[in-house]
This record gives sequence, C-alpha cells and structure tokens, in this order.
Amino acid sequence: MSSSTIRVLYIDDEENNLHAFKAGFRRQYEIYTAISAAEGLKILDNVPIHVIIADQKMPQMTGVEFFKSIITSHPDPTRILLTGYTDIEALADAINHGDIYRYIQKPWNDLELHNSIKNAFDAYMSKINLRNKISELEKTNDELNRFIYSISHELRAPLVSVIGIINLVKMEGLFNSSGEYWKLIETCSNKLEYYIQKTLQYYKNNKSAAENSEIDFKTLVPELVELHSFSDKETHFSIDIKQDVKYYGDAFRIEVILGNLISNAIKYQKVGAVDKSVSIAIDVTQEAADIAITDNGVGILNEHLEKIFSQFFKSKYHHGSGLGLFIVKEALNKINGRISVMSDMGSGTTFKITIPNGKQS
Amino acid sequence: MENRASSQKRVMLIDDNDIDLKINSKIITLSGLFQHITMCRSGEEAIKYLQRNLNEPGLLPDFILLDIQMPEMDGFEFLEHYKLLDERFINKCILAILSSTLDYGDIKRAEANPYVSRLIKKPLYLNELKEICSHYLFKND
Repeated sequence: MSSSTIRVLYIDDEENNLHAFKAGFRRQYEIYTAISAAEGLKILDNVPIHVIIADQKMPQMTGVEFFKSIITSHPDPTRILLTGYTDIEALADAINHGDIYRYIQKPWNDLELHNSIKNAFDAYMSKINLRNKISELEKTNDELNRFIYSISHELRAPLVSVIGIINLVKMEGLFNSSGEYWKLIETCSNKLEYYIQKTLQYYKNNKSAAENSEIDFKTLVPELVELHSFSDKETHFSIDIKQDVKYYGDAFRIEVILGNLISNAIKYQKVGAVDKSVSIAIDVTQEAADIAITDNGVGILNEHLEKIFSQFFKSKYHHGSGLGLFIVKEALNKINGRISVMSDMGSGTTFKITIPNGKQS
Repeated sequence: MENRASSQKRVMLIDDNDIDLKINSKIITLSGLFQHITMCRSGEEAIKYLQRNLNEPGLLPDFILLDIQMPEMDGFEFLEHYKLLDERFINKCILAILSSTLDYGDIKRAEANPYVSRLIKKPLYLNELKEICSHYLFKND
C-alpha cells in the first residue's frame, strides 16, 4: 500500500499558493486543490483523501474551523495546518479540537513539507490498519464466543444423552450384562464431560472481568462439597468456617477454585482406605479469606510440587487431566489470590489460599 | 412403589430431542411418581396442548420439564407464552428447566425467571427427580 498513490488535498484562499504547491509536488502525489473550505469539503465528499493541508488564514472559515467541522464526517484523513504567522491561540485550538497532526509555517520548505506529507500518510495508514485489525479481532472473538457456546450446547448435549442412557442401563440392572463394556463407556463419557467442563471454565476465566458480589462461605462450601462428593460418598468432610464479616469477591472464580480443589481432594484419596477425610478451614476477615484444604490422600511427590500448577502436567500414577490446578492458578491470578501447597507423599496434601476481600464497591 | 391412584399425577416433557424424551420418560416411568406423561417435541406443541385443555384439569400436567435449547420457540420464549395462560393452572403447576446448558447467561436467566422452580442439569437422575417431586409436588402426601 505504501507504494500506492498518496492523495493530498490542499486548501488555501491564495491561488498562487495552490499553483506553487501543485507545481512542487505533482510528481510525488495526486494533488487536489480547493480555494475555500466549502470547495474542499466537496472534494472530501467525493474523493478518498489521505492527507489534508489547510491554510489557517482564510475568509469565511479558518483552517482550524474547517478541521473542527469535519471531525465526525471525515475522521480518517491526516490533517496538516499551514500558517503564515505564529498564532498560539489558533495553534492550541487546532491541537485540542481539530485533531491536527502537524503544524507547518509559511512559506513552506519543500523538503520539510514533503516529509510531513509522507509521515502524515504513514499515520493515516496505521490508523486504517489498526482499525482493520480491530475489526478482524472482533470477528475472531465473535466466532470464538459462538464456538464456546456451541461446545456448551451442541457438543455437550449428545454426550449428556449418552450419560443419561448409561444411567438408565444401571437402573434397569443391565450395567454388568455385557462384561465391562458399559463401565468402559461410562469412563470415557465422564472423561469427555470433564474436559468440556474444564475447557469452558478456563475460557470463561480468561474472558470475563472480575466481578464483586457478596459471598457467604457457610452456604457456598457445603454446596460445593455436596456437588463434588455426589459420586463418592466415602470421603468424610469436616468444614470449619469463621465468617463474621461480609465478604465480597468474584463468585464464579471462587467457585471454580474451591470446586477444583475439593474435587481433587476426593479424587486423590488412597484407593481402598477406610478413613478418607478432607478438612476445609476458612477464616474470613475484612482483608481476606484464608482457606486451607487438607486431605489424607496419596500426597504429591516433592519434585512435582512446582509443576502441578502448569498446564497439562500429569503424574504418571494418577490420571488427572492436567487442567484442574492450572485453572485454579489462572483464576487466582485474575483475582489477586495466592496459593501454596504442602504435601507428604503417602500422608496427604494441604492447599492454602488467600483471596483478598473486595469489600463493597 | 407407592400407590397414588387417589391422586393421579401428570408430567409434561418439552424437548426437541427424541432421545432425551425417551430417556427422561423412561426414568419417570421407573420412578413411579407419575401416572401420565405428555411428551411435546416443541414449545409450540406444548402451548397448544395446554391451551386446548385449560378446561380439562384432568389432562393438565402437575409438573413440566422444559428444555432450553429448542429450534424456533426456545425454553425462554415458551415461558413468555406460558405465563399468559390461566392463572389457576400456572399457580398449581410446577415447572423445572431440564437442560444440558453450562452457559452462564442461560443459567442466570433460568434462575431469575419467576415461573421456574428449579434448574435441573441433564442427565436427569432418579434421586434428583424424587427429591424435587417430594419438595414441590407431594409435600402434603
């Protein structure tokens, strides 16, 4: 594009200047001249101009007045103001209200004006390119939103039907009727369902701005425990919440964080243990909510402790998705929370989280 | 299974997905909670059925399970028509949304709607169905 013709409109009430300009620059640019602001506007309306040069001192309408008048109708062309005398007031006005790119003194120096026009054109092009990029991004963003929406509906709906059928098969006592096939279908379906949920959580965490709503941990935590222990009733939960003050925070992200940690605490219990237990302690103050979630499960290898929060990290022995803790960390980053972890292989893990109290905004 | 011959209960399923209609009606049958199941493949069909039978209380549902994502008239639009029906019926009927949606906007809209007693996520589980029915429908029994 930069090699293409640059279209320059020059407006000046002195015919001689128009001629001089045309003579000096017609080899480099496509030049349009106008003897008045009104005539300049007519050209602007009909030709896609890149750079406008206007003389300040003209009868009827000054250069600055002209630039002001076209600010909404022709916002794109880059403006250069030409003036024979230094008028600070006009200059200030031009900069503040006329969206002027350069100010050039009369009589002009050909090289200086030439450089200014070139720079003005570059400014014009970057403005247009930026706008195109933005609209491209908006389009991509729209498509992504639609895609995510279709994941949460179209892709998930048939999967949920499959899970419903497996549920029926169980109810009708047919689950063990074909060896382990139904069990395998169930495992695969649950895994797929889990990935879809995590993908949506991750996406939503990235996209949405932090919100600030009142959170009552005494209601929220038992609900989340109930939800996640639905499929595994063996783990015993003890919940200790001290909340005497109001807490404001991002409900969606806090749910995601606690939900993932609670579900991990259940998932990483020792197979066959009889005393599976998880304790959740929360202390809410004016400043923050301090949360500790401790389980007596399998624990985490020391050398893994630093890696557990990175995306797709999985340990060899326990087949997680490598997404849960990554999403926890990402969500905490968005709401200025902190997390630390202590673990002894074979005897359990404690996650400690601090999330600032957003107070009422 | 309890005998409810004295109070015959009717449930209406509104879902464009035949497989889900089949699955959910099967679960309802196995639950023994309802004696009649009315299946509608669209919101329009359901509204027409309700309008046609407003004067036949015996044919009106006690409980409606409504899907959100349906072509043409979706669940929310159905609710706009539903709320214009005879008040005596609406006040008696319990309506729950049964959807596979995870979309935050859908969930919030469903929770905010005054005619929706509960949002149930698919798949429908027997225990959840029983719990909801004992909470809303059979509390006097």
